[in-house]
Amino acid sequence: MDFDTAVKMNIYETIARTTQAPTSADVAEALSTSPEAVEAALERLHKKRLLVPEPGNPSRIRMAPPFSGVETSFRVKVQDNVYYANCAWDALGIAAALQADAIIEAADGYSGEPMMLEVRNGQPVPQSCVIHFAVPAARWWDDIIYT
Amino acid sequence: MLLFRSKETVTQWCEARGLPKRPSINLDQLWYLALTWYKNRLTVESRRPGPDEMVEIFARVGLEGPFWDPKADQWQSAT
Repeated sequence: MDFDTAVKMNIYETIARTTQAPTSADVAEALSTSPEAVEAALERLHKKRLLVPEPGNPSRIRMAPPFSGVETSFRVKVQDNVYYANCAWDALGIAAALQADAIIEAADGYSGEPMMLEVRNGQPVPQSCVIHFAVPAARWWDDIIYT
Repeated sequence: MLLFRSKETVTQWCEARGLPKRPSINLDQLWYLALTWYKNRLTVESRRPGPDEMVEIFARVGLEGPFWDPKADQWQSAT
């Protein structure tokens, strides 16, 4: 396994296990390397659109899709763990990545009214909802945090 | 993208921001995309689909045209 893949796997395994994104120092300790080497890997993984470091703080991870490194309005409960997703797509993506049932607490994008989605036995429970894309695919990564 | 309870609240959101209404999808389409993107994300082999793969994946759930094409030139300078 190459170094960047080892960094990526450590990050994903850590989030899946703990629900929290590790810092570059955490990953460095686990891989017996330096935080600077990990941060360089994070930047390369960002260029491949696999991770997003926190803007202005390369030691932290903002997004390891489908997981968010910060609390968001998409709260995903899997068994006793609570994860945060970057968007509705990623909220379902957490259930897909963990291959687990999930209850997703979210809110209507206009009214803020609470909404709940559920994945049970590998399928979303039917629910009246609409997912609107304001940004075309060619521009998603112009500002992926907004997208 | 944003989640809404109904098409009505999508319209209200767009009007409040002076933005054009753009494509929406349903929960089944979103689940297909989530599975395709992320079901192997915790494995060593996982990777993000490339642009041509994305076009094929979107087409499988009926999402076609330049809006869903990551290489579509017409959106590069659009607002």
